[in-house]
Amino acid sequence: MKPFRRKGDEYVARLDPAEAGIVGLLLDQLEQLLTGEEDDVEGDEVVARLLPEGHRGDPALAADYRELTRDSLVAGKADDLAMVRATLPAEGGALRLDADQATAWLRTTNDLRLALGTRLGISADTEPPEELASEADQQLAVYYWLTAVQGSLVDALVAGRAGRRS
Amino acid sequence: MAGPLAPTRSPETVVEEENDLDRPWVTVVWDDPVNLMTYVTFVFQELFGYDEAKATELMLQVHHEGKAIVSSGPRERMEHDTSRLHAYGLWASYQKDS
Repeated sequence: MKPFRRKGDEYVARLDPAEAGIVGLLLDQLEQLLTGEEDDVEGDEVVARLLPEGHRGDPALAADYRELTRDSLVAGKADDLAMVRATLPAEGGALRLDADQATAWLRTTNDLRLALGTRLGISADTEPPEELASEADQQLAVYYWLTAVQGSLVDALVAGRAGRRS
Repeated sequence: MAGPLAPTRSPETVVEEENDLDRPWVTVVWDDPVNLMTYVTFVFQELFGYDEAKATELMLQVHHEGKAIVSSGPRERMEHDTSRLHAYGLWASYQKDS
């Protein structure tokens, strides 16, 4: 992977074939969670983190919030996901994103990190794996890889914003 | 003008009643172990138009104190702010200011 950087009005990076494949698989899994029947995913910890309660402690207000916002939040996340899928080089290679596409990547890589982080029970004390002995180690490595991708994209977007102001 | 015939009302009572009626709703962002500090700062600037210093201060408050109030106003607007934060994956909720 070559991390994101700003180039003119674009945000560019490069993914290895294996990395692009992993992102594709994760997008499929995220999509299944987001578009699953509400009854099927009820109580799922990842769905609860991606679509949290709007009000804590008042079930009526929490239900109001869910009714008011859930469909549009799911639709927004699905739109982001579709844009990431459309711009992902399936066999690996160069990524060139305009500002809207970069924002979709920013939010979707965050959702993927939230999903993986929740499944893996990430805490403030979690460290990157030293070896890849188990499946959990490998998933943790993917989490930290996504962290590097998203971190470089945040930095590039901050640089882009500073550029727009000057 | 205060004079001998002016009604005697305890000003504190009046102020308290007004405060209760006007007590705003707030949007709170809670700390979580996944969201990057740079990302949270970026989102605060993007959604609320805060300058970098203000956004960084709020992000650090979330990080060190576990939560921060990021906006306040009528309930409908706080619902809206909460949903905009949820769209970015931040852990937010709204409540009556305490």
